[in-house]
Amino acid sequence: MQTAKRCGLAMMLMAGAWAAQATQPTAMPEEITVGKLPPANPYRLYVSDVAISHIVDGRMHIVDGETLKYTGMIGTGFTGLATLSPDRSEIYVATTYLAKLNRGTRTDQVDVYDAQTLTIKAEISIPPKHAQALPYKGTIAVTPDGRFIVVQNATPASSLAVVDRKAEKFVTEIPTPGCWGILPAQSVANRFTTICGDGTLLTVTLGADGKPTDQQRSERLFDPDKDPVFSQTENDGDTYHFLSFHGQILSANLGGAVASLGAPWSLLGADDQKDGWRPGGYQPFAMSKDNGRLYVAMHPAGAEGSHKNPAKEIWAFDVKSKQRVERVEGNNAVALAVSRGANPMLFAIDPLSAGLINYSTTPKLAVGKRVDGFGEAPILIETH
Amino acid sequence: MQWFDDFFERKARQVARMTSRRNAMARLGRALLGASVLFPVLPFDRSPQAAPSGHGGGGAHPPAGGHGGAGGGDVNDDTTCEYWRYCALDGFLCTCCGGSISQCPAGTEISKVTWVGTCQNPNDNKAYLISYNDCCGVSACGRCMCNYNIGERPAYRMGVHNDVNWCMGNKANSYHCTVAVALGVSEARPG
Repeated sequence: MQTAKRCGLAMMLMAGAWAAQATQPTAMPEEITVGKLPPANPYRLYVSDVAISHIVDGRMHIVDGETLKYTGMIGTGFTGLATLSPDRSEIYVATTYLAKLNRGTRTDQVDVYDAQTLTIKAEISIPPKHAQALPYKGTIAVTPDGRFIVVQNATPASSLAVVDRKAEKFVTEIPTPGCWGILPAQSVANRFTTICGDGTLLTVTLGADGKPTDQQRSERLFDPDKDPVFSQTENDGDTYHFLSFHGQILSANLGGAVASLGAPWSLLGADDQKDGWRPGGYQPFAMSKDNGRLYVAMHPAGAEGSHKNPAKEIWAFDVKSKQRVERVEGNNAVALAVSRGANPMLFAIDPLSAGLINYSTTPKLAVGKRVDGFGEAPILIETH
Repeated sequence: MQWFDDFFERKARQVARMTSRRNAMARLGRALLGASVLFPVLPFDRSPQAAPSGHGGGGAHPPAGGHGGAGGGDVNDDTTCEYWRYCALDGFLCTCCGGSISQCPAGTEISKVTWVGTCQNPNDNKAYLISYNDCCGVSACGRCMCNYNIGERPAYRMGVHNDVNWCMGNKANSYHCTVAVALGVSEARPG
């Protein structure tokens, strides 16, 4: 009892000392400085927020995914589409600025930010056609050598803008009618593929100058009328995985001049189908090439129109064996992303609270921390 | 742009046929209302604890039939997300922003391009082709955010995609709110 009292007194004294430290400046006048982000690690998150209630003023939140501490922000303009350079040193944002905020001359450009200081390094003009879309993964992408940034356009006719990062110049516009998204090959530079509304994949090869030299269409990957695929993809090197509304995983190798298709497999067993489990969300799946797992945001009683519904559960699959190995609570996830490298951590967005949730993946998939209030309408996570 | 119009018309009719065949209109993608200003755009099955203070109502589960109901709205009240024409609408309702179901609010411009949905009218049990025009050029309205996705598809089917700014073709380029205009009875049989 006596010990407990002493302990309590000591704690009060310590608390008092801390309070004094916090309230009494040590040196005056105090100096104001500008910070940098904490050193980058694989768990740093870049979270795109369309801020629809003031959509001309979107933003990206930069968050420490381990502690879920807010570390910084960049403004992403009107429907900014963002991604990182392959070496993770730069953030690219394709966006629109209107001269009179809500009207007036439209200027589209790719803003280049330093990913550590969050200062702007370059502004590269592009035609005023960038897709004023929600920031879906794949609406902006970079060739693996870092040279070309490719931006999805919509007028609403679809085309792609190729930007030379090195020369800081727009190079060319490639019409891609009826197709959407940019999926860069990883084993070769200057090649990417786009998903087409007839269920095929269109692969575009660029010359050294960034202009297209070849375009080839694959066999049909999916039937868009029967079982469409989400536009988000996940990849391990050249092997890209596509997720269908009804829970099929399709794959294609995008390294060649024409995409070669793999064999599809289903996420659902007979019981799952009976209960109507389906994937859903804006970024409904994430794959770690480091642990060979694929994580999918799933909801039961799925139906036509439920493809953006939040997750009741998150299911983990072993990509090699194509078996479900774990399932955990979904935290209403509409977006999933997994860190790169050893000890992967899974991250989810809960739209009910603009919350971020982290999950450990080792020794088993388990909910870790949750922090709410990351902006207004965050829908995309990119990990460092 | 005739090719473009034809393309959209064709796609719309394909989707109309498909949704009808699947009896989808009577089933419902669960609810998604984002009436709360904090979390718009995002569909969710609103839980009681998340019941908003804003417009849109509460309730955890949609009733049978119609395209929604999670917000407790009336399928004949065009200021609620459950109004029958809103089955593929993602945005702010112009009916809450000074406009009407077919009228953009004062000071805005009508979008030149649109996406379409095929929605069942529970009053006559017929399916209608609905054009969702955005109203443009004024700050985002911020009221009555709704998000339903019946027949909605990813952007490789652009004519039935609702996650882009359909003010994209206008000089007054920013998004304000969305109207839902009936173009006609769909050739598809109601579901």
